[in-house]
Amino acid sequence: MMSDRVLSSDRTVSAPRREASAPWLWWSASFLLVIGLTVATWWLNKTVPTWNKQLRVIEFPVYAVALGLLANGVLSLLGIRDRLAAYFRTEFFLKTGLVLLGATINLTEIVAFGAKGLVQAVILITSVFLFTWFVARWLGVEEKLRALLSASVAICGVSAAITAAGAVLAKKEQLAYVTGLVILFALPLMFLQPAVAIWLNLPPEVAGAWIGGNIDTTAAVVGAGSIHSQQALKVASIAKLSQNALIGVVAFLLALYWVVVVERRPGQRPSAWEIWERFPKFILGFILASIVVSLGLANGWVVKAAVRDLQRLREWFFMAAFLSIGYGLSFHGLRDAGWRPIAVYALATGFNTLVALAVASVIFR
Amino acid sequence: MVQEQGAARQGSRIFTEDWLAVVVGLTLVALGLAGLLKNIP
Repeated sequence: MMSDRVLSSDRTVSAPRREASAPWLWWSASFLLVIGLTVATWWLNKTVPTWNKQLRVIEFPVYAVALGLLANGVLSLLGIRDRLAAYFRTEFFLKTGLVLLGATINLTEIVAFGAKGLVQAVILITSVFLFTWFVARWLGVEEKLRALLSASVAICGVSAAITAAGAVLAKKEQLAYVTGLVILFALPLMFLQPAVAIWLNLPPEVAGAWIGGNIDTTAAVVGAGSIHSQQALKVASIAKLSQNALIGVVAFLLALYWVVVVERRPGQRPSAWEIWERFPKFILGFILASIVVSLGLANGWVVKAAVRDLQRLREWFFMAAFLSIGYGLSFHGLRDAGWRPIAVYALATGFNTLVALAVASVIFR
Repeated sequence: MVQEQGAARQGSRIFTEDWLAVVVGLTLVALGLAGLLKNIP
């Protein structure tokens, strides 16, 4: 498999860590910091709306990202941000939260919205990927960076960029740069898009599909959906997971293109196993949780109160995920890469926003 | 190579966390359905 060099080798990546002295102390401190900030987010979310009714519109992702950014800034100034970063695991918190979300969505909804979501995903991935690819080529962006940009805008942000980095053997700096861009664009969209959806008076299903089809990173999709409504959150998550599910296929095609066209290595092909390897496994957990709970509710051996407990637990994981986004935000590589990739990303996001609105309005209305 | 290793570290961590999230998430679902997560605020 051609991309083993980048994504699948644990043995070759044991880089020495700077904080080798008493690492358990920093890990413990990091663990406590995540817990403390998550509790603070929960407290703000519960308490602030009691101060003023108008503040009820602010949902927990706002407090979580703000607290994460605050901790990021303060600890960066003190020079200990990186040492305390061990437990700020955006991907883990988000994916566990999504498995719990699966438990609160009926299987029939997943089947109904998932089928539509897959149609939407195929249309959006194809059109947005090609648009980004050709705009980037027109602006003279380097090939590997072009692949990362196209995958991240068209599929699912950071995870897609990492997968594409594996397929084309991109540099760490390019990955860091694209990751920064993804967050830079996703954070404002997380707040703006639900507001625009409400202003446009979109039904929750269309709003959710639009959010899921447009915002790149899954965490921001969950945030935007939560800000809009519970129904929008469900549809947005299912629409996004439909895109995530296709990541393996895109990685396979990208790797194939790289080997056959760009590097022209005769006889070398990525294997079909790569599709499974790149498939985001948490989607299986999401569907399995939904199957178990849906069957349980239908047969009477699951009570609705238990599902509500899981819903509350899910919010705790999402709060920790948003905190981690704010904490991990870094624009390190952005200064060096110049304006062209930013222009590509902005144009592609604009295109994605319009096409996703059109497609969601047709498929989900 | 060092640059590729950086991408590798990030990539493999994400895909490991995929399975970890499935195990932890489904365990929590089981605990919740068994009524053991009642006092979550």
